Amino acid sequence: MEFYYGLAQIVGVHTLLGLSAYIVLLTGQVTMAQAAFFGIGAYVAGMLTVLAGWHIVPALGASAVMGSATACAVGFPALRVKGLMLVVATLAFGEGVRLFFFNFDYQIARGDLKLGPVGSEGFRQIRYFPEHGWTTGEVMLFIWVFVVLVMAVLWWFDRSRYGSVLRAVGEDELAAQSVGINLTAVKVSAMTIGGAIAGLGGGIFAHYTTHIEHSNFNVLVATFAIAYPIVGGLSNVFGTLAAVIFVQAFLIEGLRDLGDWRNLLFGALIVLAMNLRPHGLFGKRRGSSHA
Amino acid sequence: MLELRRAARYFGGVRAVDGLDLTVAEGQIFGLIGPNGSGKSTAVNVITGLFPLTSGEILFQNESLAALPTHRRLQLGIARTFQNIRLFGQLTVWQNLWVAQNSPEDRARRSFFARWLGGEKGVRAEISQLLEFSGLSARQDELAANLSFGEQRRLELARALATKPKLLLLDEPAAGMNSEEIGHLRERIIKLRERGVTILLVEHVMELVMGVTDRIAVLNFGQKIAEGTPAQVQNDPAVKKAYLGGA
Amino acid sequence: MLDFLQAVSDGMLFGATYALIGIGFTLVFGVMHKLNLSYAAASIGAAYSGLLILKVFAAAPAWAVFLSAFVGGGVIGYLVYLTCFHFIPLSNPLAPLMSTVGMFLLIDEVIVHATNGMPQNYPAMFDDVMIRAGGYTLRGDLLLVFGLSVLCMIGLLALLYRTKLGLATRAVSQQPVAAQLCGIRVARVNAMTFVVTGLVGGIAGAMMGAAVGALSPVLTAPLTVKGLIVTVIGGLGSIPGAIIAGLLVGGLENVFQLYRGVTERDLYVMLLLFVFLVFRPGGIFTAKSGRD
Repeated sequence: MEFYYGLAQIVGVHTLLGLSAYIVLLTGQVTMAQAAFFGIGAYVAGMLTVLAGWHIVPALGASAVMGSATACAVGFPALRVKGLMLVVATLAFGEGVRLFFFNFDYQIARGDLKLGPVGSEGFRQIRYFPEHGWTTGEVMLFIWVFVVLVMAVLWWFDRSRYGSVLRAVGEDELAAQSVGINLTAVKVSAMTIGGAIAGLGGGIFAHYTTHIEHSNFNVLVATFAIAYPIVGGLSNVFGTLAAVIFVQAFLIEGLRDLGDWRNLLFGALIVLAMNLRPHGLFGKRRGSSHA
Repeated sequence: MLELRRAARYFGGVRAVDGLDLTVAEGQIFGLIGPNGSGKSTAVNVITGLFPLTSGEILFQNESLAALPTHRRLQLGIARTFQNIRLFGQLTVWQNLWVAQNSPEDRARRSFFARWLGGEKGVRAEISQLLEFSGLSARQDELAANLSFGEQRRLELARALATKPKLLLLDEPAAGMNSEEIGHLRERIIKLRERGVTILLVEHVMELVMGVTDRIAVLNFGQKIAEGTPAQVQNDPAVKKAYLGGA
Repeated sequence: MLDFLQAVSDGMLFGATYALIGIGFTLVFGVMHKLNLSYAAASIGAAYSGLLILKVFAAAPAWAVFLSAFVGGGVIGYLVYLTCFHFIPLSNPLAPLMSTVGMFLLIDEVIVHATNGMPQNYPAMFDDVMIRAGGYTLRGDLLLVFGLSVLCMIGLLALLYRTKLGLATRAVSQQPVAAQLCGIRVARVNAMTFVVTGLVGGIAGAMMGAAVGALSPVLTAPLTVKGLIVTVIGGLGSIPGAIIAGLLVGGLENVFQLYRGVTERDLYVMLLLFVFLVFRPGGIFTAKSGRD
């Protein structure tokens, strides 16, 4: 049972990562920065519970706030960079953040122990859950409360006018401007919300994994973040969830028997999925477009 | 209502609009015609703010539009349709209209307090009305990309109307239409004027322009070569030369 | 001062390989308006494939390895085209991008599997040649790296500007629909673009291996980031831009390393990118944009 709880934890956290990219992708911005916001959230929440003795919930709130603040700051210059250039710019930003954590030291002595992040070694001993006697099952439920909450909020957005506005911007910025939509407000707000979700996810990640380091927030993770919503389809939030389950549960755990070949299969499966269902596993079939 | 003073827009060496003076009075249906490449579409793009002016001024209700981005001009009341339709194909007909409700009145209705006081109902009613005016009520939940060409044209116009414009720029709305469809379009344009919308009609199809406008300006090479009533313009030798070439 | 000059010149000579990678990214972007994120990995993979010839002829000379890397690059390039761009409708922007990501991961894993994750030695030529002038050293192997890379660039430019295929490629990059209406088989041009950039990538990977002396799969991700930085600084779609940017990044990278050490070096390269993005987002040579 422990194994399934653990798997559910991973699925939950990765779903948050994917959803953080989902909302940004709706506006047509392909962002490789979500792993960076995820990492910022992780370090912030970890430092608050370990070094400042905060309760986990406000720590997660702070990580969401930090994630959204950074994302907002990134969102404005991102407006100046069009299309695929944004991929590069956000990729570089993500790498920059990772390199920052690679060099980041902040330690406090508690009795004999030194706690806090240590550059390339990372941040060990984020032991809030074990110290407060949480079982694996309880942690899993805790994570999923947040996942369900975020999914519900995004589902509600999708059905509201804001959701249609996001998709209008993603589809045709020129037309959107011409009917009075403020592109800056829409794109930056989406980026900010995405940052909040990523920050939240990162904060949770830090606590269930108890040890984080810079390589947990690298280009590969940034890729996973956008892979989930793209492979799952941008029609609704369940696509992202399905993609996470497909990848984490099926691929990584289910193909455990195939040992080292799993990673090989992962790349091949993405290629296959994109060729067979370019709009994602759950993407709606598009109508024919007129020239 | 709208005034262009020596408006110019250059693209490098190309003078798409070159010293254009134009005045559109409130309540008019004003036509803008000219051979291909005469600068009509550029004029529309400059008025809506997609391109900044290289020189000159644009005044809307006596206020300069310079430095205002497109979405702010929309909120002042300037809307447009696109020559090659730019609908939000992945949104439904209803959603296309919904996202276009950006007039100051509608934005106020979406504010926190207004919502509690039933502002949302007004929104629905207006979208339904627009759908009826455009004959699209039955298709309201269909993806815009799945509409027929004629339906898409009507939606394009309806979407511009959803923004509650004071000035509506129509960019070649009659392209590819047959006589019957042009007749319907003409009626709809007249109804719009009755509702208080000023219209600037950029068009090639003379059947429509001559039949519905109060006043026409003729462009060639980015400059105005003639202006007057439809009858005056039709008989102007400069106009004939521009279109037909030679004596 | 001498150290500075040495760092700059060594960096620029090595930077020629970055230029080639940048060219590969920028050419695909210019012709198809798509990003091929697997390109750097494919280039390293091609370099590895060059080593295969040593399995057959254990005493094969270095240039034979380079040649088979060159050929391997073209093959891998075509494979990437098939799996990512031939069947997926190009109007969908995200699916081809994601597919190239899949290929990146796939190529990475194939390399790891084939070599058990161990770095492989790579042959070099003229590594015993050193031209000295005072305290300044010009490494023979780096000169070769630079020379071969330049030859590659010249060959590519000749292809683009002196051959029919090059003309067709330039036509497709400007107006794909019109090009098709003129009888150009766009799919074939796209495929050839990938083959050509693959060949270029093979040289780039081989030269990198030759300069460093070894190849390792951990190179793929940093090289991708660096290649993209070069492409953006040079201007998306501009080959001369990529060349200049590659030399610039190569030289500056070494200078950063000289003064701030290896760990901070990459941060400064990133900063360089941000400076460009803020002050000159179009890159050194902004691609010409139409009126629409």
